[in-house]
Amino acid sequence: MGSWCWEGASLLSRDELEIVGFSLATAAGATLLILPPGVLAALALARYQGPGKGFLETLLALPLVLPPTAVGLLLLEALGRRTPLGGWLASHGIVVVFTWKAVVLAMAVMSFPLLVRSARTAFEEVDPRLVGLARTLGCGPMAAFRRVTLPLAWRGLLAGVVLAFSRALGEFGATVMIAGNIPGKTQTLSLAIFHNNQLGRDDRALVLAGVTTVLAFAALWSAEWFTRRRTRRAAA
Amino acid sequence: MIELDLDLPLASFALCVRARLEGGVTAVMGPSGSGKTSLLEAIAGLRRGTKGRILLDGEALLDSERGLALPSEARHVGYVPQDAGLFPHLTAHANVRFGARADAKAVASAIATLELGPLLERHPASLSGGEKQRVALARALATRPRLLLLDEPLAALDLGLRERILPYLMRVRDEWKTPVLYVTHNVGEALALAGHVLLLRDGHVEATGAPFDLLSTPGMVRASLPGVENLLPGRVRAHDSEGGVTSVELPAGQTIAVPLAADCAPGMQVTIAVRAEDVIVSKGVPEGISARNIYEVRITALSRTGPDVTLRCAPSDAAGAPEWIVRVTPSAVASLGLDLGQTVFLAVKSHSVRLV
Repeated sequence: MGSWCWEGASLLSRDELEIVGFSLATAAGATLLILPPGVLAALALARYQGPGKGFLETLLALPLVLPPTAVGLLLLEALGRRTPLGGWLASHGIVVVFTWKAVVLAMAVMSFPLLVRSARTAFEEVDPRLVGLARTLGCGPMAAFRRVTLPLAWRGLLAGVVLAFSRALGEFGATVMIAGNIPGKTQTLSLAIFHNNQLGRDDRALVLAGVTTVLAFAALWSAEWFTRRRTRRAAA
Repeated sequence: MIELDLDLPLASFALCVRARLEGGVTAVMGPSGSGKTSLLEAIAGLRRGTKGRILLDGEALLDSERGLALPSEARHVGYVPQDAGLFPHLTAHANVRFGARADAKAVASAIATLELGPLLERHPASLSGGEKQRVALARALATRPRLLLLDEPLAALDLGLRERILPYLMRVRDEWKTPVLYVTHNVGEALALAGHVLLLRDGHVEATGAPFDLLSTPGMVRASLPGVENLLPGRVRAHDSEGGVTSVELPAGQTIAVPLAADCAPGMQVTIAVRAEDVIVSKGVPEGISARNIYEVRITALSRTGPDVTLRCAPSDAAGAPEWIVRVTPSAVASLGLDLGQTVFLAVKSHSVRLV
């Protein structure tokens, strides 16, 4: 750990280290924030077979294909003081726009579909009859989820969490719309890369891009690893 | 006692079962797709959309008129599906202990009854079909269910394995005294285990009664051996290894030659199975043909069934001798001039006869 800090200190300035820390913290916060609703949505999509399923799926996948700036703009409008939500937040003294909260929100919205997609596949692989059997053995719905669905789906779920985290780490468009690019306040790694490039400091931008690459590689590689383990288990 | 009065819409028909079943083992039989598995799932509480009433020892599990539908976990009904349905992430031991009501004593005696000791630390992926069934049965028993639902527990097993699992089921019946609904296609299993049979067809109860009383009813035959209409009780008389045949005595002293079955001891009770279309009809006494079994009968019923004509034939000489169901083509009926009341001869090749 100590040697990493020493090398890091020589490679990155104090401000840049803070940016890395801020990015990791907001991305982790966003991932944690979307975990409960993401798992619920994935469960619902995996089990629900009624009408409107296709519409719901498409709606949930929308942030994957929309320009992130468009999503950011919609969020900005939704949080404005004239909307009921914005008004309510303002009356409680909660400021989201152009703060770290906006960074987390932008990341959360943009990574939500990725988490739901992976988690849904993981839940769909769990035989619903096993869940029914757990019920006949005396488990309520929550206990059946905890003792059967979750243990059988956790690898896929974890892969989804890692993917969502990676996506959050790379978020740019929506963040810049609702959080701005305020150094020391809302600036994340991807914003700082853009910022440095705009100021002609390409060497710093490159260093930060390298850091992002290493982080993203580590996250994706571990997601791959979990998925591979899961497939092997299923094949056994 | 189980009282059923339930309706459940299925894809191609509606399951509609009204029946009162005493304790002990009830065999649920019927052709594939007659609603047997759906019935078990409805009783277990796994089928939403089930309407009507299910009473277990007078207590309602389902009473849709009163708006009552106990969730599965409150029914205290053990269910073992056809493929055992073990939890793949748990060892055999953890599977048996899974039940929320599985106390240590019940777990220990379920493990003892099904002799699971050597298997406990293994995962389902490494268990054989028969071992999986035993673990699943123990898992259900360990919750001390008030009713056990078994869906063809032996269907996926080969003959030798069936014979080894059957005693375990008998032990469950005799030592645990849990009432059992037992789905099976196998008449032998029904005779060995069940006190009653509930015969389903297209979602309806076709017949109920003691297995032996239903043995030769068309419904039971359809349920057990699709396409085999002639199921006759018999007793092995003698083997002729030179001639390659075993002689089996039918009721009223008739005999039938079947392919040599040296492993059946003389005196053993067997069931003879012959497909209706494997019986040859002749107007005169057949001579010079290879068929070993020839019976003189009278046509008592003649009906067009789909593309064929089905004949019901009663023995014309020996009272109490078996009836035969024979299927021929309409052109054979026309060219032989077959009609009601006519005396004809039936010829059955030994190789068309199966011992079941």
